[in-house]
Amino acid sequence: MSSIKVMTKFVISPRRLLALSFALASLLLSACATKVEVDGNFPPALTRQLPLRTIVVFEPDFASHHFESTEGPEVSIAVGQIQVELFTGLADSLFQHSSTATSMPTSTSMPTQPEADLILRPSVEDVQISMPNESQLKVFEVWIKYNLQVYNSAGEPVADWIMTAYGKTPTRFLKSSTDALHQAAMVAMRDAGAHFITGFARVPEIRQWLHARQTRVSSTNTSKMTEP
Amino acid sequence: MKKLASGISLVCFLTLSACTTTTVDEYRENSTSLLLDSSERVVVLGRRHYADYETEPDFIDCIGEKLNADREVSVLPEREFVDLLYPWFEPRTAPLGLKRLAKMLDEPMIAQRFKEQGLRYMIWVDGSTETTDRDGSVSCAIGPGGGGCFGFATWEKTGTYEAIIWDLQTLKESGRVKVEARGSSYMVAIILPIPIVAQVQDQACDGIGLQLRTFFMDSRVSEES
Repeated sequence: MSSIKVMTKFVISPRRLLALSFALASLLLSACATKVEVDGNFPPALTRQLPLRTIVVFEPDFASHHFESTEGPEVSIAVGQIQVELFTGLADSLFQHSSTATSMPTSTSMPTQPEADLILRPSVEDVQISMPNESQLKVFEVWIKYNLQVYNSAGEPVADWIMTAYGKTPTRFLKSSTDALHQAAMVAMRDAGAHFITGFARVPEIRQWLHARQTRVSSTNTSKMTEP
Repeated sequence: MKKLASGISLVCFLTLSACTTTTVDEYRENSTSLLLDSSERVVVLGRRHYADYETEPDFIDCIGEKLNADREVSVLPEREFVDLLYPWFEPRTAPLGLKRLAKMLDEPMIAQRFKEQGLRYMIWVDGSTETTDRDGSVSCAIGPGGGGCFGFATWEKTGTYEAIIWDLQTLKESGRVKVEARGSSYMVAIILPIPIVAQVQDQACDGIGLQLRTFFMDSRVSEES
């Protein structure tokens, strides 16, 4: 009898019915949405350090970058913070001296006694994800396209390096798409690191700049030695 | 009573049917066993560069456990190795052949890291476990009076893996083990679903792990004798 009473009370209260509908709707919508905040750690890179001083510029767009896909199920991946950690670690491993900044150094802060030989400014050009229901493959995939702009100490552009990163993770029984995308994004980040470390000195413009710098340093040393 | 007995016998029949068939092939470069000093270690790595599949990390861990079962063969965990050598063993950069590995080891820093870890053999495992066939269906329904499932489903899984052993001292291939495990799983649902699952990946791991162990254990036995 009491349960019937409660039921009747519930049905006739439009406010409660509305609240329940909203709660149910939001529950259903959140069940469909996938939100991933990528976090984790990267090991230090095993590489020979280049005798360079660099500044890596993480602009706010890059440091808080997040990707949202509205096609199909709603997916959102926040990669900003993890990217900053990745590139900071990579620069520490690859260059003898490295520091970070949040904006490009101005002409007044750089000049005669330059603090850096190179300035690196990474930016995200594009992020793409692929879910198993879209690709018909049993893998979650994440692609990230970076543009690494490299400037010399005078602030002149040296190279525009388009660097792609790819990560995938297979579907697993009882594994959520959030976990799978997180893992795929981490693999993509590690791949970006591998590309950066193995490819930096091979980019033609950077290689040319490094060669010119080497020649300059050698000739300066030779002239110093020949001076009386 | 008769119904209970027939139910039990059906379950037993299905349990017996959910077995796995494993075939192991082995190839050795020569008949002598692989030498492994007590200070030397082995690393087992999975191939991850293919677009449509990757060798499961838990399968690699399982092989490591089989090799290290009685602490005779010391195994460096895959994750630890890949982190120590970052970024040289990522899917993009990992060597696919011995020539590439030899070139990699020309880099003193990488060679030094291998030496520090006492690595003597590298075992590459390539393959995956896939569902190859499925049939039947199970439907579940829920209502105010309760819920339940009804139906029968079956699926077949095949795990195909190949392990290749590289000797890091001679930079030559020491042997290969290929395993194919196949098993059918069933799901019977009469109100409650009862899954009878064939452990295909576990059986493949047993097959390949134990076979790989024989490559090293023979030398240990002869050393002791």
